Amino acid sequence: MHRPSAHEFLRTLLETLDDLPPDFVRRLEEVLKKEDGDRSQAIRRLFEEFAGE
Amino acid sequence: MNEKVQRLVMHAFRGIPGEMTVDFGKGDSVVIYGDNGTGKSTIADALEWYFTGAIELLSHEGRQHAVRYVGGETGGVTSVEVVTSGTLGGRVDFPDERNAEAFHAIRRETFLLRGRTLADFINKTKTEKWKALVEILGLDAIESLREDLQRARNELRKISKGAEEEVRTYLRALTSGSEEATHDTILANLQQFCVMLKVEPPRSLDQLADPSWLTGVVGATPAVSEASDRESLLAEIKTLSTPTFDPGGVEAWNDLVSSGRARLLPRASLVREAKRLFDSGAIDKGRCPLCGQAVDDQSLAQRIESALVEVMEASRNLERFGDPVAQQADDLEAAHDKRLSIQNRARSMKLELPPVPDIPHAALRSSIETLAPVAIAAIMSSLSDIRKWDRAAGAQARKASPREPSTRDTQLVMLAALCQQVNAWRVADHKASRARRALDLAERVFDAYQQKQKEDLAALLSAVSRRVAQIYSTLHPGEDLDAVSVEPWTAKGVELAIDFYGSRQRPPHGVLSESHLNSLAIALFLAMAERFNEQIGFLLLDDVINSFDVEHRGRLAELLADGFSEWQLIVLTHDQQFFEHLSRRAPSWRKLEFTSWSYASGPRTTRYETPGILGNARERLESGDVHGAASRARRALEELLQEVCEALWAPLPFRRGQANDKREIGELLKGVRRTLKERAKPLLESIEPLLKNLEADVGATLNVAVHASRGRPGASEVAAALDRIAALDQKWSCSACMTRVWHRGTPEAARCKCGQSSFPPARI
Repeated sequence: MHRPSAHEFLRTLLETLDDLPPDFVRRLEEVLKKEDGDRSQAIRRLFEEFAGE
Repeated sequence: MNEKVQRLVMHAFRGIPGEMTVDFGKGDSVVIYGDNGTGKSTIADALEWYFTGAIELLSHEGRQHAVRYVGGETGGVTSVEVVTSGTLGGRVDFPDERNAEAFHAIRRETFLLRGRTLADFINKTKTEKWKALVEILGLDAIESLREDLQRARNELRKISKGAEEEVRTYLRALTSGSEEATHDTILANLQQFCVMLKVEPPRSLDQLADPSWLTGVVGATPAVSEASDRESLLAEIKTLSTPTFDPGGVEAWNDLVSSGRARLLPRASLVREAKRLFDSGAIDKGRCPLCGQAVDDQSLAQRIESALVEVMEASRNLERFGDPVAQQADDLEAAHDKRLSIQNRARSMKLELPPVPDIPHAALRSSIETLAPVAIAAIMSSLSDIRKWDRAAGAQARKASPREPSTRDTQLVMLAALCQQVNAWRVADHKASRARRALDLAERVFDAYQQKQKEDLAALLSAVSRRVAQIYSTLHPGEDLDAVSVEPWTAKGVELAIDFYGSRQRPPHGVLSESHLNSLAIALFLAMAERFNEQIGFLLLDDVINSFDVEHRGRLAELLADGFSEWQLIVLTHDQQFFEHLSRRAPSWRKLEFTSWSYASGPRTTRYETPGILGNARERLESGDVHGAASRARRALEELLQEVCEALWAPLPFRRGQANDKREIGELLKGVRRTLKERAKPLLESIEPLLKNLEADVGATLNVAVHASRGRPGASEVAAALDRIAALDQKWSCSACMTRVWHRGTPEAARCKCGQSSFPPARI
């Protein structure tokens, strides 16, 4: 049985979601690749960034 | 294809003083039989140690050092060498220098089930089962990301909630307490007010943000501006409300930190950090990552694992009860800052308000940091002080406001204040909208992530459940126990369930017997291995049938022989009936019998190793260890005579007990002579001089006990004795195919593998 990594799992999931902001998936993957810092804070900031003005 | 074990070599390991090799051919299945204490489980120990870095039983009891052979002659380094059909093989010496990363992939594989730990998985709590399953399925990283998404989502919820509250505060001020107003109604009211004052009404609320519009409409005289500011200040003071306080939440926190569980809380981050360092491999081997002291890293890694389970529960409580207290501190601080801001604005208008009372938000945060109880009385008192300050500040501001509201200037001041309020409301509304959009996105991603995780897990559990049910019903056919499954239970748990005469039992402990529970564990073990193993292609079952009756032992033997022929099964048992049943059912399997164990010699098996022992004796002789060579030569002769007696069914004196494989050389020689005299007299006559010389060797050259008191034998004497033993050994081997003469056939008419040599020999 192939065990997907967390990134693979998330990518598969995001591909099924419609109407995500453009470039959101790529930016989220960038955040997940960074190993330093608080990942949950980085994810929160990304959500805020894509909430727009 | 999953890898199989081809050879296992143990050296000075557990109960093996020298070296022991188990040959599995190309990865054949094997059934290993031996009474208790004969050393058969050493094979399971060696494979467990090699593939996991520890032997669970020893680790639990803090006896990791018992991996080494502790008695008699050790013969050097403790090691285990495994040859597999792929890349998993290798050699490990004690102490094991490998770090946790080396076992990362293998830890997700299932290969070992022992009788003594059979009920472990069954008896685990649903949370522990979940944790085990998460590790096997490799869901730990996926679960960790889910937690981060959840933390981000929760924080956005707080931010959004705060922003909405701010909007409602402004709205209440604009609409005299109502929160129902919309942009249109507010614009309409404002326009109406402007018409009443005979000034140009704004076309939209955006126009209010333009300072030139306000200046043009209201005028920019200092009196109006100042009065407008005071009106605005008074309106803001009127909107102040005392922060809500939930004593129940704080009491729950106080109960937690005052309890014994609190002692575990400070360890949570420490243990997590230690685990992270271990997993990353960024530590010095053999040193504690936190304090730097020398330590056995295997045992420390396991202690960290077990400590993590313990602190996780405490950590969850910390989060559950700590978050509301932290929120309370945020609310109190926001209330304090708001009042300081109003006080500063008042000062800029030459209006002195009472000093803002101190609020214990810092003390509250300190209690969270230090895991100390929170003083509820101090919070209640400060809230009372805030209410008093709000009333006093309102009274002061009213006194300073213009007393003649009927003049046009006053009305214009009111209009300007109203416009300021509307602008502030719109800024807050904009901020709240943005927070809401961020939250919507976070909720959407998190919900979908969690749903997919749940669905994937359900699909996996469903597949495993079907196989578990299939295996279980093979072991217990015709019993009205059905629908065995592994089910999700709560957000972080899985549990075994079974239909028992129409009622669903989850967990099944209340209705199943010990043997039924053990069957369930075996079924789960086999199903998990089938489903999830990626690299390991062998399964090791060590004494797993203790609670089974004869019928169920038979069924398990049939299941293993027929249902798992693609796997390499290594089955260890002390039950002779099960051994024989499995041997008959699976004729292609290898068989190995452990007959005894002794302190000095270690385990003995029915597999004879005369050539190997002779070779070892010659090596010792070459290195100058004459005494050691003599000792091994004697052992080789014992081994050879034992093998001959067994293969020829030599009549030996009856012995009570288990010592039939420990005959003395004299007894064995008598057995050989008697058999040959009856069935191969010419052979006996031809080897009699050799046997006599060997008898003499046993009494002198190879008599180690005599050497200890009378001096050492000469190297040439030992070399000659070794040659004689080798010569006798050759009498029973075919010179063409080199296999034993009794390789095929019966002792009455035995032949070698190629058929050219026979017993009794046709011609001497």
